[in-house]
Amino acid sequence: MSGVAICGAGAVASVGSSLGEIFQALCAGRSGLGTPNGFDLGKYRTRLSFEIDDRPERGRDVPLRSTRWLEHVIEAAAAEAELPDLRGVPILIGTTLRELRSVELRWRDGVDFDLEELHFGPALRRRFGAVQVSTVANACAASLYALALGCDLIETGAADTVIVAGVDNISESTYGLLDRCYPEAPDALRPFDKARRGMLQGEGAAAIVLRRAESARHGWVRSVAVNCDAHHPSAPDAKSITIAMRQAHTRAGLTPADIDLLMLHGTGTPLNDEAEARSVGEVFGQSAPPPWMTAIKSMTGHTAGASGLHSLLVAVESMRTGTIPPVVGVREVMDEMAGLRLVRDEAVGDELRLAQVNAFGFGGLNAVAVVERP
Amino acid sequence: MTTPDEDMLITGAGTAIRGVAGPAGLLRPAVPEASADPTASLTGRGLRYKDRATKLALCAGRDALADAGLLLDPGLAVPGESVGVVVSSNYGNLDTVCDTVSAIAAHDYTATSPMALPGTASNVTASWVAITYGLRGVNLTLCNGATSGLDAVSWARVMVRAGRVRHMLVIGVEPANPVVAELVGPTFDGAAALVLESAETARERGATAMARLGRHARRETHARAVGDVLGGLLDDRVDLWCRPETAPGDRVESAEEQDLTALLGPASGALGVVQCVTGAAWLRERAGGTVLATTQGADAAAATVLTGAGAAL
Repeated sequence: MSGVAICGAGAVASVGSSLGEIFQALCAGRSGLGTPNGFDLGKYRTRLSFEIDDRPERGRDVPLRSTRWLEHVIEAAAAEAELPDLRGVPILIGTTLRELRSVELRWRDGVDFDLEELHFGPALRRRFGAVQVSTVANACAASLYALALGCDLIETGAADTVIVAGVDNISESTYGLLDRCYPEAPDALRPFDKARRGMLQGEGAAAIVLRRAESARHGWVRSVAVNCDAHHPSAPDAKSITIAMRQAHTRAGLTPADIDLLMLHGTGTPLNDEAEARSVGEVFGQSAPPPWMTAIKSMTGHTAGASGLHSLLVAVESMRTGTIPPVVGVREVMDEMAGLRLVRDEAVGDELRLAQVNAFGFGGLNAVAVVERP
Repeated sequence: MTTPDEDMLITGAGTAIRGVAGPAGLLRPAVPEASADPTASLTGRGLRYKDRATKLALCAGRDALADAGLLLDPGLAVPGESVGVVVSSNYGNLDTVCDTVSAIAAHDYTATSPMALPGTASNVTASWVAITYGLRGVNLTLCNGATSGLDAVSWARVMVRAGRVRHMLVIGVEPANPVVAELVGPTFDGAAALVLESAETARERGATAMARLGRHARRETHARAVGDVLGGLLDDRVDLWCRPETAPGDRVESAEEQDLTALLGPASGALGVVQCVTGAAWLRERAGGTVLATTQGADAAAATVLTGAGAAL
């Protein structure tokens, strides 16, 4: 077949610094949960996050960590795709927070940081000579939204090769405001648990090389649907999520029964999980059996702008290996998920051909992708 | 990537800039001082929880949608899922982020307001625009440095061309506030917006075009970007050049020149959209010609061509 092929991949998160390491950790049920070490914990009630441990000194944060991870994953993806020259290649970066953490450090602590580096263009120009860089700040749906843009460039003939990436680190403004918003501090990230208390932030980056090609190393992007609830700045809308899922199937020429694996967004917040579960129930409730379902955030945290691509790459690895990593830490699954096949505690093995990946963000942003194994 | 010529039209424009009475006001040589704040025209609940960039974008977006005949009283004239949004801004939510860390530093997390949470994500403006006007199509926020505004116009074209939506609302916005003033210095305070759709869509709904969107390029130098968008055009003739904030190494030969930075202050991520709105207003007044808009930053330069809508409809 021919289509939009995933020809290279790179990833980093709290649980590993390559796709292989991350996938292995998730299948083994190994979580990256720890204590934030970039800021004064005396200011907060919540003391948990899924960080990448790369600061030179414990307790002292440094700027430009996201930029470094982004360079790392792009380099890995390009190397795997044997793409030596990135000068003319569109690079689309999905992110919630850009380098806003670096802005916080300059604003509050006087740390040296040039505002030109708030978006990722200058760093990628220096490192790779890249000039077709777009920083797309589409909240936690950002990297799948960027994937939609990348596929559009290829499908409309505007480009043959595109790099799509996602990246985020943890800013204190989001960490503090989440702490302020949840009635109780979460003790873990428990997606779809009846007693889930909220989301915990994670850090990481992911990148893939897309090509219009006849063969694919990692898999094919069959469709990406995107929309906006136009409903509420933070609360999701199940109706709109359902529309996005159905649209992804229609664009790929599939029905829900064709999907073997569903990578849920699964943030562990009361409202998000409820809306997602209701939509999934509506779309997949009639499939017998429904697809396997899992989510990565109980072990990676919510990697925000990177989370959609992290989920997509885990889906691709699951299809390649026939192993689906579990959700961990769920004690009693919420009623809305009762009839659905959520993989819990232990990895499950099965033959998989098609996976759906969900990513939703603040502002009612919904992005749903369908990927197929090579 | 190059964007080939195709029939893509600007069918409406709006501004929210102190002292500028709509798009045609951008063609004047100076902005009167001590003018009214454009956001004073906003009404409704919840305004105190919206940041300055969002309020400015809501005003300019509303006026562009109305100018294009897409926003009637009381609502959208077309299905919400057929309209997408792209907002370009670099500094839009710096105030929320920095005020929040200051409040935490002075006390602790309990000193913050939960209402500020969505504003820590840079897409807060695009999300309020969608909510306020019921725009349920693709919703993008581009934070792409100095070229961001022209890049946003280019992405809007990709979205229409790919069939994701029929109409795109493009908004460029930057707020002036104490946080931006301390981090960046004095800046533009305002927003400009335009509506982009295909000639076919415009024709079907009987819309009037202001201008036709020509080529766009983002390149390593200003000269290359300009060369790539002008190559093959009629004698490379430019009637109006909307120049970048910083002086490019190369000059563009043009009959007229507009320096919007001198007029309005450094507009960063808003500049490209302000330029396109200026160009569209100029073309509407003259019923033709070629406008070149260029921006340049640390990582790249961008160039976009607009021409008269002529016999487009």
